[in-house]
Amino acid sequence: MELIWIVFASAAAVAITGLATAWAQGRIGPAVAASLAEKPELATTAIILVAIPETMVILGFVVAVMILLRGAG
Amino acid sequence: MIIRMARVRVAGPSAQLDAVLRLLQEIGDLHLIASAPSQAVTARPAGVSPRWVRHLRRVLDDVDAVLVALPGTATRETSPVRRVPLPPAARRVHRLRRELTSLARTRAALAEEQTLLTQYRAFFDAFEPLLQRAPRWPDARASFVLLRAGAGASVTELERSLPAVAGSKVELHARPLPSGEIAVLVLAAGSAAAQVEALLSTAQLEELPAPRGLGETNLLRAMPALQARLAQIDAQLVANEARRADIAAETRPELEALQAQVHDQLLLADAQAQVRTGELLFVIDGWMPDPAVAPLRARIARELGSDIVVAKVGTEPWTRADAPVALANPRLFRPFELITRAFPLPRYGSIDPTPFVAVFFPMFFGLMLGDVGYGLLLAGIAAAVRWRWRASATMRAVAEMGLGCALFAIVFGVLFGEFFGTLGTALGMRPLAFGRENALAPFLMFTIALGAVHVVLGLVLAVIGAWRQGHRRQAVGRGLTIAMIVLSALALLAAFKVLPARLFTPAAIALLIAFPILVALEGIIAVVELMSAFGHILSYARIMALGTASLMLAIIANRMVGALGSVLVGVLFALLFHLVNFAIGLFSPTIHALRLHYVEFFGEFYSPGGAAYRPLTHWRATSRSAST
Repeated sequence: MELIWIVFASAAAVAITGLATAWAQGRIGPAVAASLAEKPELATTAIILVAIPETMVILGFVVAVMILLRGAG
Repeated sequence: MIIRMARVRVAGPSAQLDAVLRLLQEIGDLHLIASAPSQAVTARPAGVSPRWVRHLRRVLDDVDAVLVALPGTATRETSPVRRVPLPPAARRVHRLRRELTSLARTRAALAEEQTLLTQYRAFFDAFEPLLQRAPRWPDARASFVLLRAGAGASVTELERSLPAVAGSKVELHARPLPSGEIAVLVLAAGSAAAQVEALLSTAQLEELPAPRGLGETNLLRAMPALQARLAQIDAQLVANEARRADIAAETRPELEALQAQVHDQLLLADAQAQVRTGELLFVIDGWMPDPAVAPLRARIARELGSDIVVAKVGTEPWTRADAPVALANPRLFRPFELITRAFPLPRYGSIDPTPFVAVFFPMFFGLMLGDVGYGLLLAGIAAAVRWRWRASATMRAVAEMGLGCALFAIVFGVLFGEFFGTLGTALGMRPLAFGRENALAPFLMFTIALGAVHVVLGLVLAVIGAWRQGHRRQAVGRGLTIAMIVLSALALLAAFKVLPARLFTPAAIALLIAFPILVALEGIIAVVELMSAFGHILSYARIMALGTASLMLAIIANRMVGALGSVLVGVLFALLFHLVNFAIGLFSPTIHALRLHYVEFFGEFYSPGGAAYRPLTHWRATSRSAST
């Protein structure tokens, strides 16, 4: 039973942060695309801005790994 | 690194101003700035006649228009730009522009006519057998209608309506054309022609008229003339193209030389506007790389005599906010200037981050990819790109960065014992450091420690930059932030017994003492910045996350071989997975390594706002000079 909770918790850590990242990038992406239509020279900055919210899901992954390691231990 | 600049003043007799400017353009080192007015030189900037500048711009406009209109590509000018006498060249290029405009108009008109006549020809080809046979009625009249694709209902309607108005004295034939349209031929006896025309008019079906200029109103009789005209158009188009090719062959080198010459003259005109001149004397102010001042002085003395004076003017160079910025890095680091240049130039006197990017960017990339197989693939692709696009400086830089990243990927692949994931284990590879599959916690600790080093390095650069700019308090504050990060790390390591536990108390006490000093130095915002620094350090955990994700995908790819029924199918799927993983492994580590530099690293010390170094030099075809 405990294993189920461990797996569920680690999955939730990734899933919730993934949803949050998707929501954030869904807002940033169209704004960035509109900016690029007027100023193509901002392409590099635009890619970085879209990539910034990925921090959430990456840290969610790290938390998931830590939960799994703790649970396995 | 940012090249140290010297503020320079060149002065001499007004009569030698043109010669001096031409020599400065030839040398190509001096970034001109507007000279401040002084008592020694009375008032006015030199400048050239606005009329002359307008004339040059008109000539340039003609030259650019002609070069765009000519077929072929630019010739590679390896010898020094030859000078072309300007007035006759300007007249000649203006005449060429008129001629090429006329040729273009003729070509467009011929092409349009050809398209239209070809449409008619398709029409006739569809009905040729019908038109060749003897007409059913001696006074037969043909009406041609073109219907759009999918208008089959109109044809059916016509088939029903025509006999109603013309009885048996009318025939309707419909053929689909290659373009998808429907060609309709209505043959009617002379006595029924009027009714047929009326019906077509009522149905709003426009009869296709004979093309203008063929001397025939009836399309049927115009066919021979149409075919002759098509042949004539072909010949005229060939002649048109041949004339353009002849013009290109005869005049392109001269036009390119003229283009460069006019650009150079416009650059000189811009430069003259920044020179102050009096009746006897001129003064030019500018910036140039410090080591180049002595050679400039020597060359001016040698070629123009001792009347021209070159003096170094200035105070502490690093505090001059108005000095232009030029980057100069060793050959090994130079490709990474592409990453630095994505940001605005650093302010003069601040730090050029290129050398640090050149070390840490491929390192982070290699840590995330961390596979010998993928590293070798990347090295192969980078080498191919470098060879294929060796003429392009940007592609060469990208390829060389790729080679650096591949090298680190291979090195870390050896340390982790990975060759296309766990395939290396099957081939006898053993991790020299730790295997990423089973050592997630140590890998995470390693990446966070690496992040701490990187962020602390950024703060050290901030201290150096602030000290150099004279902001001592800020420098001490940044230094204290470094100390607090180090003390926090010591306290944590002592708490987890990685270091002796007795270090915990002194570290904690030192933190408590340093904290109010930091707030006193930099204000309450320092607390926010300190927390932000810790957040930045934790952000480096993404290296572990992406590296582990890449490894897991590779492991899944390898397990495909035995998972499916057939070994061949399994191998194909495995290759596909590895390919996808490799593609992700190129894109994702690049984006995140860039992000770690742009946000976490640059955010600590980078001061944008530098003015670009644009010396007065000869125009080059790939440059974007101020005169354009």
